[in-house]
Amino acid sequence: MKPVDPQTYIAGVLSGDRRMLSKAITLIESALTTHQEAARRMLSALLPKTGAAVRLGITGVPGVGKSTFIESFGTMLVREGHRVAVLAVDPSSARSGGSVMADKTRMEKLSIEPRAFIRPSPSGGTLGGVARKTRETMLLCEAAGYDVIIVETVGVGQSETAVASMVDFFLVLLLAGAGDELQGLKKGILELADALAINKADGENIDPARKAANVFELALHLVQPASPRWTPPVLTCSAREMTGIDTIWKTVLRHREVFSASHELEEKRRRQAVDWMWSLIDEGLKERFVHQPEIKKQLPRILREVDRGTLAPTAAADKLLFLLDNESYQ
Amino acid sequence: MRIVSDIIAYCSTHMPKFNTISISGYHMMEAGASSVLQCAFTLADGLEYVQAALRAGLGIDQFAPRLSFFFGIGMNFFMDIAMLRAARFLWHKLMSRFNPKDPQSSMLRTHCQTSGWSLTAQDPYNNIIRTTLECLSAVLGGTQSLHTNSFDEAVGLPTDLSARVARNTQLIVQEESQVCRVVDPLAGSYYVEALTDGMIRESWKIIQEVETLGGMSKAIETGMPKLRIEEAAARRQARIDQGLDVIVGVNKYQIKEDVSLDVLEVSASVRDEQIARLKEIKARRDPAAVRQALEALARGAESGANLLDLTIPAIRARATAGEVSDALEKAFGRFVATTRCVSGIYSSEYGDSEIIKTLRTRTDRFKDREGRRPRILVTKMGQDGHDRGMKVIATGFADLGFDVDIGPMFQTPAEAARMAVENDVHVVGISTLAAGHKTLVPELVRALKQEGGEDILVVVGGIIPPKDYDPLYAAGATCVFGPGTPVTDSANQVLNALEKR
Repeated sequence: MKPVDPQTYIAGVLSGDRRMLSKAITLIESALTTHQEAARRMLSALLPKTGAAVRLGITGVPGVGKSTFIESFGTMLVREGHRVAVLAVDPSSARSGGSVMADKTRMEKLSIEPRAFIRPSPSGGTLGGVARKTRETMLLCEAAGYDVIIVETVGVGQSETAVASMVDFFLVLLLAGAGDELQGLKKGILELADALAINKADGENIDPARKAANVFELALHLVQPASPRWTPPVLTCSAREMTGIDTIWKTVLRHREVFSASHELEEKRRRQAVDWMWSLIDEGLKERFVHQPEIKKQLPRILREVDRGTLAPTAAADKLLFLLDNESYQ
Repeated sequence: MRIVSDIIAYCSTHMPKFNTISISGYHMMEAGASSVLQCAFTLADGLEYVQAALRAGLGIDQFAPRLSFFFGIGMNFFMDIAMLRAARFLWHKLMSRFNPKDPQSSMLRTHCQTSGWSLTAQDPYNNIIRTTLECLSAVLGGTQSLHTNSFDEAVGLPTDLSARVARNTQLIVQEESQVCRVVDPLAGSYYVEALTDGMIRESWKIIQEVETLGGMSKAIETGMPKLRIEEAAARRQARIDQGLDVIVGVNKYQIKEDVSLDVLEVSASVRDEQIARLKEIKARRDPAAVRQALEALARGAESGANLLDLTIPAIRARATAGEVSDALEKAFGRFVATTRCVSGIYSSEYGDSEIIKTLRTRTDRFKDREGRRPRILVTKMGQDGHDRGMKVIATGFADLGFDVDIGPMFQTPAEAARMAVENDVHVVGISTLAAGHKTLVPELVRALKQEGGEDILVVVGGIIPPKDYDPLYAAGATCVFGPGTPVTDSANQVLNALEKR
């Protein structure tokens, strides 16, 4: 990447230039220290222009139809005049580091809409990093004038907690009759959900979908709702046949109305800002840790010893943290 | 399924001798399916059609004798003989559950075509020998009819000469060699019988797996068959790239000199002539009659009337195929294939060789230098659906440490350019097999510039005649990869080009 001037990006993003926004996201995603500095300056300048969008997180196990849902949902929104940005995180291979991103093959219509912007990003193997990058990318899209931001995440692992902590509304997609009621999702995910939707409610599947909705409604009664003003509804939809999609959007808007009136939205975002700060600190500490010269030198040997069982993990951690604490004395 | 069962229903009353459908496995083989996969998925497709026709109220003997199959025959000579023999056995077994009275209902009749994928651009006259072997394999396997490919298939469309050689290959086998004088000449050969038995067992397992998913339509919705086929294609490519599967003239016994070949030039005027004809027909027909027929078809599609019954009057009124399919789309919508890309297959078949390690180190270093991995958009623009090459490249490059974006099928250059810019890739890789590259590549380069992506490199791979290389470079392509280029080589060259920027 060529040397970058944050000013060009700032102006480009604010004017809504697609190329500039895309380059600015690359800057956010970059692992180079110089890029990260430029990205921080860019973000500080853009921050006042953010915050107006509806931030929506969508999760579900692979095969539930997330991309198809976003295709239908997003297309409906752009046709209503909204500007929609979709951020999707695709898992990178642990062995090669590479990734395959096929999201847009399932978002054919949305991906050519002039008022849409879809950016798939490789997870790159570090989960904490993804959360930061996605959050900052979301802000860039807001600064560029997108008023609905959709963050898509695979509902297995830790990522849904991270995504739930950066959006206003968290939607969990499910299927009817896929065996286990939680379909491989972590149990805690119901506590994060602002709504559940049973997808693929079409054809012979309409009745099973309604039944599944009833079952989930009962399950939700066992969960303490996050707000006394909002009980997460269980809806059914068919992304393929475009049914039930508008109801979901109306639910998002109603949630927004309720939460704005009660000032919970404001509060939620303030809480999220604090979370964001802590996650930046976590990430920064880890970064500092692995780049500390003495630790860098000793880490491979200590890792080998723990791996072989010749050094207890507790002792190893103590030793490494001692090195970090005593950085300035060496 | 509706269209197929309506065709079968219509034909069984109006044209009982007509071969209603050709149940094809050819496209699956060309996409990378092994003989077992081809056999299993094709028969599972057939079973699905039969069940649809039964549900529509037909009796099994009314239509089953007119079903016919279409298999692809590749270079694994005895394997594909065994495949055809196994398919006959299995079809009889599958059809017996419907208790047909007519023995012809459970007989498998098939057409075969020699493989286009097995033909090479390198040393192309070798292809005559390949096609001959595949032709013989189909005949010994007992095919009812046959299509042989022309030897220039990997380079372009057939010339008069190459078409004649292809036809004569059949005539020589049929009329000179005497092999057609006996039914199932390999019956009783220990090797062929054992292979057939293995083929029956392995295919049966997959057919049962498809049935547990609820039949072939449901299986296709889950993406299972496509994923299996792409996995087989990636494995095969890894074996070829390592020289484990030999292709003469490509990965062994290569020749230095270029073999010159006359390539058929399709003049650009063909398109204009066709458009002119279409305009003329549209001007001459009775627009009210066309509209009425198409509306009747759209209504019938909703209500469950026989589609062929309604399509014939529309075509008689000179509605175009596009208009007919638009009318059906109003009722049915459009199917979008589930694209799931396998990963880890290419490298696992390759093992941890030096080449893979070196390339992975290079993509790692790229990341250290640039802040992210090299990112490539693989796209297949235009109206050609052969996505094997694109998928193999995608999974192979990801295994070598690239971040790979896959474009939707049938992208236009403008759409591909927008996607490249939006995803901020370093390179766009165009896969081309249907002679569209001479217009699509320059259009993409122009579109990239328009979107502000002039810094994005363009590489092209696929079936590209040698004399098109220079025009492609002139149009702005950085690399051109002909058929048979190992994935590792193309990745290497892409990295070289990126480092030179």
